[in-house]
Amino acid sequence: MPTRLTIIGAGPGGYVAAIRAAQIGAQVTVVEESEVGGACLNWGCIPTKTLIASTEALELVRHSAEFGIELTGDVRYNLNKIRERKDRVVETQIKGVRALLKSRGIALIAGKGSLLSEDVVRSVQNDGDTQDIRSDRIIIATGSRPALVAGFPFDGETVMTSDDAVQLKSIPKHLLIIGAGVIGCEFAFIYRSLGAEVTLVELLPRALSTEDEDMSGIIERELKKAKIKLITSASVVTIGKSAGGVLTASLTNGQEVKTDAVLVSIGRSLNTEHLRLEEAGLAAGKRGEIPVNEKMETNIPGIYAVGDVTGRMMLAHVASHQGMIAAENALGGDVRMDYASVPAGIFTRPEIGSAGLREHQAREQGIAVRVGRFPYRALGKSHATGEIVGLFKVIADAATDRVLGVHICGARASDLVHEGALAIRMGATARQLGEMVHAHPTFAEGIGEAAEEVFGMAIHVPGGRKER
Amino acid sequence: MNPDDIKYHREHAWVRVEGKHATVGITDFAQQQLGDIVYVDLPEADTDVDADSELCEIESTKATSPVVSPVSGTVHELNDDLADSPEIINEDPYGNGWIVVITMSDPSEMNDLMSRDEYEKFLKEEEER
Repeated sequence: MPTRLTIIGAGPGGYVAAIRAAQIGAQVTVVEESEVGGACLNWGCIPTKTLIASTEALELVRHSAEFGIELTGDVRYNLNKIRERKDRVVETQIKGVRALLKSRGIALIAGKGSLLSEDVVRSVQNDGDTQDIRSDRIIIATGSRPALVAGFPFDGETVMTSDDAVQLKSIPKHLLIIGAGVIGCEFAFIYRSLGAEVTLVELLPRALSTEDEDMSGIIERELKKAKIKLITSASVVTIGKSAGGVLTASLTNGQEVKTDAVLVSIGRSLNTEHLRLEEAGLAAGKRGEIPVNEKMETNIPGIYAVGDVTGRMMLAHVASHQGMIAAENALGGDVRMDYASVPAGIFTRPEIGSAGLREHQAREQGIAVRVGRFPYRALGKSHATGEIVGLFKVIADAATDRVLGVHICGARASDLVHEGALAIRMGATARQLGEMVHAHPTFAEGIGEAAEEVFGMAIHVPGGRKER
Repeated sequence: MNPDDIKYHREHAWVRVEGKHATVGITDFAQQQLGDIVYVDLPEADTDVDADSELCEIESTKATSPVVSPVSGTVHELNDDLADSPEIINEDPYGNGWIVVITMSDPSEMNDLMSRDEYEKFLKEEEER
């Protein structure tokens, strides 16, 4: 008899685990209370990237004169059509995931999943009907949702989370974004392109504080160029609503910001409260996370957890990879998750692609490193395409020369960074990375040059006066 | 042509003094070296600056370069036109391409700066090096 595997949640962690488990031969059931694809496909990665594709097209048209293209008439956008395109893309992807699950014989049950014991998952349908699913193995993949702030008057229209902001119901004259992390910064550029005045408020001293300092420095400059106001080392205490519909946010630094809408993007809350973890002998950590080891095993044999609920890197592709690891281990395998080379993309304008250690992390961990930097504007490709803003950065261990981190801010950075991730994964040295022939004219040349610059040997930087 | 009613700093900035106020920009040589200027990261008004230290950064299609302040003091006024039209610096470095006005804290620093003739001689020497 095949192993009966039940997965709670059909996001990028759960549905990928389901497919991998079915490939290995398990009898798989997935319980999902909303739509397949999770936050990533329904409210996150895919819809935001679809909106960004629209705003990038808009920016390109606005700057067409730089490319010798003369437009006659006004450049306008149609918000309904942008939204419809986004909905269409999401819908197509959802259908794709559903078809994949079906083609593998995976049972998809619409309901809210929780644990009845260590081997029974209960699914409660919207109409109240329940179904108990006896399981040999269980994978918890219930994900996360936007964190709320108690006392803020959330209404989905003027005081929003990212789940609301992605619906793009209207473009406010002024938008205040609380939290200049990945989500806040991405939305800042989207709404700015569509005409909103945008103010970002960040608790920490810099935007995108989890990124390498050089990368967030470039984005801070680009925010300025886009006339997006960034207030750092401050947070919003209260949001007041006046009769005219104008909102007033009071900041910890005494400032007041008048705005038409607020987007709260201060982090994400984990969806573990309704799982009845204790019924199976599981205990959540302080943030509600489910502790797992590198094999994605919880403290209860046969129960695994993957994705945001594990409280590790909250990235769709990490969830998916954890899902594959959990599925294989649940079915007799012995594989482990490695986070050291996980790449990540931030879709600001321009993009950031990062993998591995940031320079400040190396400092904090007392690792002596050598760093090579190479600017986008030194590449022919950058000038040909008009994408001259940005930086390539390679961080190598000073003792062994092994590549520990690769960080790129600039055009196509989220794609380019994978070469860096591979270098880290394979234990390559900066010298080897520089020795590899990079095709001309491409943006990827910048990685080779930055690797050479670890030794002060980049070709396309002026000699003599040393770069800072 | 470099004007002779202003003073020059070895990092290719210039100063025009009116009372306690010093208008600061970059020289024609500097703008030529930079090439097409695409962005000026202006300082905030009321920022204190020291002579010989970074006042702001200029981005051109070739490089990102610091502008070094020729005098000490407080940033009094910014050239807001540069926000949308940084290329004014290329077109008119000694006129409309001014960058900031600084309220000087030590006018005697002017004595450390070069005259036009001294600056042009300095440029020639730099070139020959």
